[in-house]
Amino acid sequence: MNIIEREIVFAGSELILNNQRVLFWKEKALLVLSDLHLGKASHFRKNGIALPTEIATKDLQRLEKLIAYYNAKKILIVGDLIHAGNNKEVSDFKNFTTRFDDVDFILIKGNHDRISEKKLQEIGIPYVYDSLRIEHITFSHQSNPESNIFEITGHTHPGVRLKMPTRGYIKLPCFVVTDKSLILPAFSHFTGLNTSSFSEKAVYYAFSDDGIFKI
Amino acid sequence: MAAKGNAPFSFQEKTWEKYGAGYSGLVVAPTGFGKTFSVFLGVLADFMNYPEQYASGLKLLWITPLRSLAKDLARAMQEVIDEIGLDWSVEVRNGDTDLKAKQRQSKQMPDVLLVTPESLHLLLAQKGRVKFFQSLKCVVVDEWHELLGTKRGVMVELALAFLKNEQNKLRIWGITATIGNLDEAMQVLLTNSKKKTKIVATEKKKIDIQSVFPDEVEILPWSGHLGSKLVEKVVPIILKSKSTLVFTNTRNQSENWYQLLLEAYPDFSGQIALHHSSIDGNIRQWIEEALSEGKLKAVIATSSLDLGVDFKPVDTVIQIGSSKGVARFMQRAGRSGHSPFETSTIYFVPTHSLELIEVAALKEAVKTKTIEDKTPMLLTFDVLVQFLVTLALGGGFKADVLFDVIKNTFAFSEMTEQEWRWCISFITTGGHSLKSYEEFHKVVENEEGLLVVEKRRIAMRHRMNIGVIVSDAMLRVKFISGGYIGMVEEYFISKLKPGDKFILAGRVLELLRIKEMTAYIRLSAGRAITPSWIGGRLPLSSNLSQFLRDKLSQSANNHPTEKELKFLHPLFVKQQETSRIPNVDEFLVEKITTKEGCHIFMYPFEGRLVHEVMASLMAYRISRLYPISFSMAMNDYGFELFSDSDIMLDDKQLAQILDRKNLMQDVFSSINATEMAQRKFRDIAVISGLVIQNLPGTQRSNKSLQSSSGIIFKVLEEHDPQHLLLRQAYAEVFNQQLEEPRLIAAFERISQSKIIYRTATQFTPLSFPIKVDNMRQSLSSEDLAQRIAKLQKQNLRKKPKRK
Repeated sequence: MNIIEREIVFAGSELILNNQRVLFWKEKALLVLSDLHLGKASHFRKNGIALPTEIATKDLQRLEKLIAYYNAKKILIVGDLIHAGNNKEVSDFKNFTTRFDDVDFILIKGNHDRISEKKLQEIGIPYVYDSLRIEHITFSHQSNPESNIFEITGHTHPGVRLKMPTRGYIKLPCFVVTDKSLILPAFSHFTGLNTSSFSEKAVYYAFSDDGIFKI
Repeated sequence: MAAKGNAPFSFQEKTWEKYGAGYSGLVVAPTGFGKTFSVFLGVLADFMNYPEQYASGLKLLWITPLRSLAKDLARAMQEVIDEIGLDWSVEVRNGDTDLKAKQRQSKQMPDVLLVTPESLHLLLAQKGRVKFFQSLKCVVVDEWHELLGTKRGVMVELALAFLKNEQNKLRIWGITATIGNLDEAMQVLLTNSKKKTKIVATEKKKIDIQSVFPDEVEILPWSGHLGSKLVEKVVPIILKSKSTLVFTNTRNQSENWYQLLLEAYPDFSGQIALHHSSIDGNIRQWIEEALSEGKLKAVIATSSLDLGVDFKPVDTVIQIGSSKGVARFMQRAGRSGHSPFETSTIYFVPTHSLELIEVAALKEAVKTKTIEDKTPMLLTFDVLVQFLVTLALGGGFKADVLFDVIKNTFAFSEMTEQEWRWCISFITTGGHSLKSYEEFHKVVENEEGLLVVEKRRIAMRHRMNIGVIVSDAMLRVKFISGGYIGMVEEYFISKLKPGDKFILAGRVLELLRIKEMTAYIRLSAGRAITPSWIGGRLPLSSNLSQFLRDKLSQSANNHPTEKELKFLHPLFVKQQETSRIPNVDEFLVEKITTKEGCHIFMYPFEGRLVHEVMASLMAYRISRLYPISFSMAMNDYGFELFSDSDIMLDDKQLAQILDRKNLMQDVFSSINATEMAQRKFRDIAVISGLVIQNLPGTQRSNKSLQSSSGIIFKVLEEHDPQHLLLRQAYAEVFNQQLEEPRLIAAFERISQSKIIYRTATQFTPLSFPIKVDNMRQSLSSEDLAQRIAKLQKQNLRKKPKRK
């Protein structure tokens, strides 16, 4: 796995964005990600859509490497940890969290997270909030542009559509940053991209396997 | 029929005779000659001769590709039945049929049922299917030429194989217009029938082709803008006709022409209408009815009106721009002058002057009846797995029994047992390895050993998605005050913000908001954008390109006889002066150096798709000689390689890059096959049920099951690269996108041609339209016209002469 980083200052704090779809707040040893959509492939399979199980495994392997790389003590998931209710992939997440005894898993509830807090406890997420403020940054799942606070959110699966020099376009996932808000890309690879335009003042940090660049 | 004073055509009599003798067959006749009654009356006659062989219930199943055809056909059939005095009932069953009628049919089938391939599959997905078809004697596939070569055609093959297996004596008849490969068309339809015959009508439809000439010939032609100049000439044609169909090639073009005609002749307001596939079904139906009743002076249409009921008042057809193929051109021409002995008149309006050569080519092709083949599709596993689930729904099947049935179809005759097992595991366990698809649920084996669908939710979703027509995610467009106007691609609307204006169905609409796959709008005025709908850009058929090369080379001699070629004479002179008009045995390459850089133009005349591949191949082969990068552009006639540095090519190197040795290996290296396959996978994913289509107007109740085919493609490439549906995507790339046989034939031809290599410092008449198409890629449309005018001026110091 090739981790390429980009440092930015947001709300007065130094944050690291990387091309593996996470944000790291070094000062707090806090790893922030959004839209993991656990159990999505399994949900598809239960509904007769044949997708291999490796999809989920790959996402978690990547998360494991990132935790080790940053030596993160807190993992903050800004919503949509779970795709659609309980299934085997969701239950198996317990095996993942138990391996990180010294790491706190925190969830900000997203619109997809419709399972009970008891179940969340069972799979190793003791801390569940609707939104959470750390210093002057508020973490919530969906953005509220009118609130006039510093916020970090997920939910939209942002992406950019870039015209290629010859023909056609490519789509890349990205972070969307304005002076007040920061939208995270979806962590799971098994998600689509929303390339409709965000705020006109926004800066996009798009990335691929080999780089992260500002647009 | 005799009572009505019509003497039967000989092909009709022959069909009746053969039908009576128990044959299956294929009837080939032009539109308007009573093809329908050839087979239909055969069935009635057989019933009257041997009533004891017919039980009550469904006797004749009639498959048409188009819903709109069914209603009128059913009416005409019922009239004949009533005249004869039989007590048979004729009914229609398709997406337009109301639920009550469907329920009645399921209880008691009519004697004759008209269906589409999709509604037939839906019947096969019902538990009562055995009962429905137990008295069935004959299946007719109408307009077989429309279905053959498509996945809908494969749907028909599969359904027929299933029905034939249930009813061994079933007679199957196809009805088709003339196509290039009639014998193959019959073979595909009737693989399982032993007694079969082909009946070809000798009657011929007369077609009169008229070109609409601009006032002056444009020596440097470019596509797209000539319409506005020619609209003045189109208005009188419409005025002097009773009713006119104006055919365009894209929805965008039809919207533009609708506006152009209204501006040129405001009195048309309320007398002309717009018809394309993005316009709401109810509005389209209203337009079709108004057209039948003679209430409309003209309808501007896309291929949405290629087929369908005859509009009696229509006496004139206008084709805007290239029709891209002989068959399509003849079909469109045939939309006017319906009675067998009338002449069909079609006017051709070029969108750039070079297209006039195409008219000369078309005339030749029509005269010699050189019509394109419809190549049947093979091993379309996406259609097969869908069909398997359909059968599992309608009472289930035994895998080993069904294998032989499927093997008997033309499409799957080459299927291996291993591939069959893969298909079965795809619907039962999800994929080849049980472990990696755990918790999968779709088709299960019941106690009787039948493969069935148990979950209601899966059954319902499958029924809703039966079919192989895949459209882009579409949003319905609805007035805030109520009423639908049509549909637009989600892709287009996602770029608009509330308050933006766009054009649909000839009206300026303001976007208010988007909710649940519906775009709410209100009427507006002023400047607006026309959506450019994706797709619909057909390449030139290889038949037509052959004639095109011939005509062009004829024009090189100074005394062409055809009006079109005479008109283009100044353009040819210019081409001959600055470069050369290639003879039939020549292949022209132009190297043009301008201020911006170096352009290489080649003219294979093989259609856009083949040129796309050839351009990549040439670029790849040149870049093997020395490092260089290109941008590429192409149209149906040729392609361009552009580089800002000099493209050095001597005669020897040119011959080398045009060599047909290692052709396909180099093609594989030059193109991005993965990306092309990913595009092909879009349809495959939907048809096979991996991606659930968002139906316009419905709420996104399946939201948690949404994903894009692109993501699934990547996932499968990574984790299950031997996936049969992935392999199908690559196969479709090679067969359809790369048109491998056509590509090889083209290089074969080039290798036998004399290569003419010309250099110039200004654009030639042949190169200019390609160059302009390239500019279009990078410029917005407003300054395009100005830029081109400037370029034309730079290139031609003297003004083009009047004719």
